[in-house]
Amino acid sequence: MNLAVIGTGYVGLVSGTCFAEMGNQVICVDNNQEKLSKLQSAEVTIYEPGLDFIFYRNIAKKRLSFTDDLKYAVNSSEIIFLCLPTPQGEDGSADLKYVFGIAGEIGKILKESGDRDYKVIVNKSTVPVGTAVQVAGILKNFGLKNFDIVSNPEFLREGFAVEDFMKPDRIVIGSDSVAALEKMKLLYEPFVRQGNPILEMDTSSAEVTKYAANSYLAMRITYMNELANFCEKVGANVDMVRKGMGTDSRIGKRFLFAGIGYGGSCFPKDVNALIKTSCDYDSEMKILTVVDKVNHAQKLVLVEKVLSYFNNDIKEKHFAVWGLAFKPNTDDMREAPSVVLIKKLLELGASVSAYDPAAIETAKFYLNNSVTYAENEYDALRNAEALIIVTEWNEFRNPDFSILKSTLKQPVIFDGRNIFTPEKMQELGFTYYSIGRKPANV
Amino acid sequence: MNISVIGTGYVGLVSGTCFADRGNRVICVDNNPEKLRKLQNSDVPIYEPGLEILFHRNIQQKRLIFTGSLEYAVLNSDIIFLCLPTPQDEDGSADLSYVMGCAKNIGQVLTKNACTDYKIIVNKSTVPVGTAFKVRDILKAEGVENFDVVSNPEFLREGFAVEDFRKPDRIVIGSESRRAIEMIRELYEPFVNQGNPILEMDTASAEVTKYASNSYLAMRITYMNELANFCERVGANVDMVRHGMGTDSRIGKRFLFAGIGYGGSCFPKDVNALIKTACEHGSPMNILEIVDKVNREQKFVLVKKVMEHFNGDVKGRNFAVWGLAFKPNTDDMREAPSIYIIRELQKAGAVVSAYDPAAMEVACRHFDGAIRYGQTKEEVLKGADALLVLTEWAEFRSPEFNGIKDALKNPVIFDGRNIYSPERLAAMGFTYYSIGRPAVGDDIKK
Repeated sequence: MNLAVIGTGYVGLVSGTCFAEMGNQVICVDNNQEKLSKLQSAEVTIYEPGLDFIFYRNIAKKRLSFTDDLKYAVNSSEIIFLCLPTPQGEDGSADLKYVFGIAGEIGKILKESGDRDYKVIVNKSTVPVGTAVQVAGILKNFGLKNFDIVSNPEFLREGFAVEDFMKPDRIVIGSDSVAALEKMKLLYEPFVRQGNPILEMDTSSAEVTKYAANSYLAMRITYMNELANFCEKVGANVDMVRKGMGTDSRIGKRFLFAGIGYGGSCFPKDVNALIKTSCDYDSEMKILTVVDKVNHAQKLVLVEKVLSYFNNDIKEKHFAVWGLAFKPNTDDMREAPSVVLIKKLLELGASVSAYDPAAIETAKFYLNNSVTYAENEYDALRNAEALIIVTEWNEFRNPDFSILKSTLKQPVIFDGRNIFTPEKMQELGFTYYSIGRKPANV
Repeated sequence: MNISVIGTGYVGLVSGTCFADRGNRVICVDNNPEKLRKLQNSDVPIYEPGLEILFHRNIQQKRLIFTGSLEYAVLNSDIIFLCLPTPQDEDGSADLSYVMGCAKNIGQVLTKNACTDYKIIVNKSTVPVGTAFKVRDILKAEGVENFDVVSNPEFLREGFAVEDFRKPDRIVIGSESRRAIEMIRELYEPFVNQGNPILEMDTASAEVTKYASNSYLAMRITYMNELANFCERVGANVDMVRHGMGTDSRIGKRFLFAGIGYGGSCFPKDVNALIKTACEHGSPMNILEIVDKVNREQKFVLVKKVMEHFNGDVKGRNFAVWGLAFKPNTDDMREAPSIYIIRELQKAGAVVSAYDPAAMEVACRHFDGAIRYGQTKEEVLKGADALLVLTEWAEFRSPEFNGIKDALKNPVIFDGRNIYSPERLAAMGFTYYSIGRPAVGDDIKK
């Protein structure tokens, strides 16, 4: 099929590349000239494992191309995917100016072409309920009839986006048009040959599904975080409780890891948008209001532990921080707990050396030169009073503990991701604090 | 092994029977003479599918006996299970007087008889974190030395308790003693030969696990209920959203059904107890506090729909109610949404006729004769202004819709459990309200 993908952020670039990989002709559109010239010279603009390989292959096969010519893309394609940013407005709602702006431009282009060919316009961006109807309204205002709108939310995890796109748990297609549903099914069938479902529904339910799923996961994490804080107080071990819960087949073992709060470009934004929309409709999702509040507080629990260890005075003390990205396998720093945590340490008079395998460049936007960026994880330890682990990158899981011990001023670790066991740290002679478990050597 | 089970409620009776069925010798103890007489006459006092056949078989084989003598039971067993009620106190916390009292009695029995055989005392009751230590201290205070305490929470679903006991997702064993863990493990191994895990941990974590699991599930349901209310407002369909969410392998498809609030003897009690314990330890579970609040409100959403449909006035109107138990396959009425809904309708001057396949006898205690009961689901429909479906019993799922239409004054159904398809009911001429899905019917304002 001939596809256009408007917007080449995470979602657009992964979607476009993976569609091309299945043999479709894909034209990606972006109006950011700098980004575009990179993409046109076959440079991958985001950090996503497995993407570069199929990106090069499909460019070489001429199935994947990049342009700023929206008109060319729209006229050459049967299906047009909108993969546009929907940033969080100040009141928590999603800002739809990019989506509506492009809808208007597409309307103009289709009108010029005389509304000749049937077009399916697909919202892949995460947009509040009702957006599909609004986009249809914009196109109708141009007098257009020969089109349908589909809501087809993406469920890509950063760091696993290619895998998730190629082998999705499910595909959600929301549309009121049978013709559009059939076309979309045809496009997606090669991705679900193992039998994972393609779910057809109305556009509103599809739009809600995306927010509902992400917000649910944010709640799941937050529940475990509150439970972890409680476990600490009563001397229980949240990792044991997690195993006890996760083996209940109604709960499941995934996504139950306590930590220092969720971040990233999806969960905080989607939780806030769903709170906002639900309030607008006078049907507040009260649980989510609490989830958001608890998550903000959770980003600081490690600082509380640091303060209490150093008798509430960390002035002029130096700390090593491992991990800046909001989770491993990404360079995404949006809403990352590291930013909140580091800013608090600095505010209290401490200094910080940080290391992250991928996110140092993006971190500079949030932290400027307020911290020292280390070359590697051991380099970050020099002169530090303690090590603070913020992101659970795999390479942090089996470090050389003798170097840690000899480099740190004191063998003290604050682990926000529970990547070591208290028993092992006890044995190795570290003072060790983690989340929801008894500390070691205190 | 020789086992005694103290307390013959849901948990005690199911546990004792299932242990006996694996070849153990089980002595069940209860101090309620009436209950005891029934049990000794092989009369099953609770409604639990599959229990009766095992119960009779093991009584016949003399592996399962019932007594009022705690002394006899304690002296003749290696492992003593405490399956005692831990009712909710007024402040939400669990009342431990039965557990503590029983621990003291066990201690006295052992001391009086100068019994120094190794005993394992197992808490199967749902008890707040720290209880295992308290039980240990009580026994020590009585002068008992050769014993260990284990926390081994039950994860039985009412209606599936026998199945859950015989094929558990997991077994949690909390103890600080290696010897006790090994013995309890041996006892449970025949139940997990498919490979489901036996998880060993400290007693505190085991105690928290029970509350954490139930409270998590209560939160899961409550999230879906709030989402359903939102879906109604925006014209989405919560069943579609549920499919979309449940196919995410991190979420899973089970236990995502929107409805009129959770009830029963576990979820409300356990959520409140965890809220209480967490506050006491200065570490509030804020999420659960809102879950509890939202769940209370959810029990009234169907009443709101009824009032709206009848323009705010249901005085003198008759309503048929299908389902009283808090969920199907049980006669448990504790915290059942039906209680709140029916009382609210009565307060507004309405008359209620109800049918439930199992819970009507128990329901009588809650409504003191203020409602009429039908012998069949058809009987309660006659002349009613509308039908309310409150429990999703299987027998309600495929009714004779023409019969319903003929019997009701108006073909109106309020379905708190989403057991019918809106499209189908609209096509048959019903006005149909459900949870989180668009209402259908000719008289629904678009």
